Amino acid sequence: MNHAHQSSGIPEQDRRSPERFEDELVMHLARGQLVAETSRPVPRAALSARTAAGLWALRVFVVLVSLMVIYTFIDQLH
Amino acid sequence: MTVTPSQPPLTAEDTARSRDRARVHQARGHGRRWQLLWLLAGPGILAMLGENDGPSMIAYASDGAAYGLGFFVPFIPLLFAMAYVCQEMCMRIGAVTHRGYGELVLQRYGKVWGWFSAGDLTATNLVTLVGEFVSIRVGLAYFHLGAGVAVALGMALVVFTLSGRRYWRWERIVLGMALFNGLFLLAAILVKPHAGAVARSFDFLPFPGGSFNTLLLLLASTIGATVTPWMIFFQQSASADKGMTPSDIKHGRYDTAAGAVLAAIFGVGALVAGAALLTHNGSSITVGFPAALGHVAGSATGAVFALGLIEAGAVAVLTISASTAYAAGECAGVSHSFNNSPRNAVLFYAANIGVALIAAAVILIPGAPLISIALNANVLATVLLPVSLVFMVMLANDTELMGPWANKRSTNAIGITVIVFVGLCGAAYGIDSFLQVIHLIGS
Repeated sequence: MNHAHQSSGIPEQDRRSPERFEDELVMHLARGQLVAETSRPVPRAALSARTAAGLWALRVFVVLVSLMVIYTFIDQLH
Repeated sequence: MTVTPSQPPLTAEDTARSRDRARVHQARGHGRRWQLLWLLAGPGILAMLGENDGPSMIAYASDGAAYGLGFFVPFIPLLFAMAYVCQEMCMRIGAVTHRGYGELVLQRYGKVWGWFSAGDLTATNLVTLVGEFVSIRVGLAYFHLGAGVAVALGMALVVFTLSGRRYWRWERIVLGMALFNGLFLLAAILVKPHAGAVARSFDFLPFPGGSFNTLLLLLASTIGATVTPWMIFFQQSASADKGMTPSDIKHGRYDTAAGAVLAAIFGVGALVAGAALLTHNGSSITVGFPAALGHVAGSATGAVFALGLIEAGAVAVLTISASTAYAAGECAGVSHSFNNSPRNAVLFYAANIGVALIAAAVILIPGAPLISIALNANVLATVLLPVSLVFMVMLANDTELMGPWANKRSTNAIGITVIVFVGLCGAAYGIDSFLQVIHLIGS
């Protein structure tokens, strides 16, 4: 904490002030890093029909292969 | 707290994160390179060494015990180079957007894809966490300690590391523990391998023999030992939680590269140690490597390998639980930060402890197929990985989110190659095994 104050050249009386300290700390965060900002959702992207179809195809394929792996795993237990 | 009208209200999480950032700014302002590197290191090393977990080290040792030095010695560094490409993207997305993977997928591409991703993560994390507790148990068994001690140790570590209520403290404690992954390198040195043989194996020869299905299993489990869904969630969320910004991307790359190099060295160490068992019926060993090494290479080697398995399992319990907690908080749209208190981030802390607790409870079930679960954890991760990788590449190419830090063509080319390679290996093993089980093809 002291490092932050020394580097920013804040007057001695302000260093002892918790209000000034809080104010200074926010200066080290980009606005987009603040919780108030990150709590806002980013806008939805528009997926093209081809991209959406590709993602669904990949999802179905992965689920099928996962079921095969799980079936094999259960079979091997016996 | 003084807040000007143009400033959004500050939270305790903001204050904690800004303290860490103040030190980064000071180090950068004073040109203190090493201090800056020290301050910004963490998520990359933790993701990579966290993935050198119990099941992974057992998989590497199994490769060595079954096939000796050869194909897998250069294959492991190659896979970590592949992991670097993926993890660098995660770090970059986290530093630019200040958001985790789960929330970005959910908000940008819709709830269905967000919850699918979280579901994949939870499934693979639960299975992998069981494997971590199994590896802790195997390590402790060498010292004649039982499953109860493994559960108590794992859960105590989870609760202890969460008690700091600061991302920085959590990260430093886990980093300190992760460095003991080097025990696998020590185990490799203790088995006194022939240096020339290790060097010669970098020509990828001899290629592993045996059945096609066994080769696919080894490929799938070894890939699953280097790149997994939890690493993607973890490094992006941890980079955001740490407070990294685009100005830190260069150091984020150093951090990720250092993690990849260390993980590759230690992974090869486990393989070399396992290779000492090649002429001692090594292919029949499933997880009992500490005892087998103790018998062949001396009790010190067995003890070092056992301690390594305890460390690998313990660190992975912490990082994998954290990735689950990040995903739960992000997808539910509630606080998900180590910089927040348990009161203000109930779901984050509950998911962190809860997922570890469920996995710990599984290893206490009498007769549970723990060894099979541990050995199949990496395979399941490999099969589910391509979807996570596709969304990661989509996010890294999203110029609305990433601006000038979006992927270059060369990065995309490598990323797509990785996705195709991982997808083919996982699918080939899954389909080939299934067809054998239902007797449509012979073994």
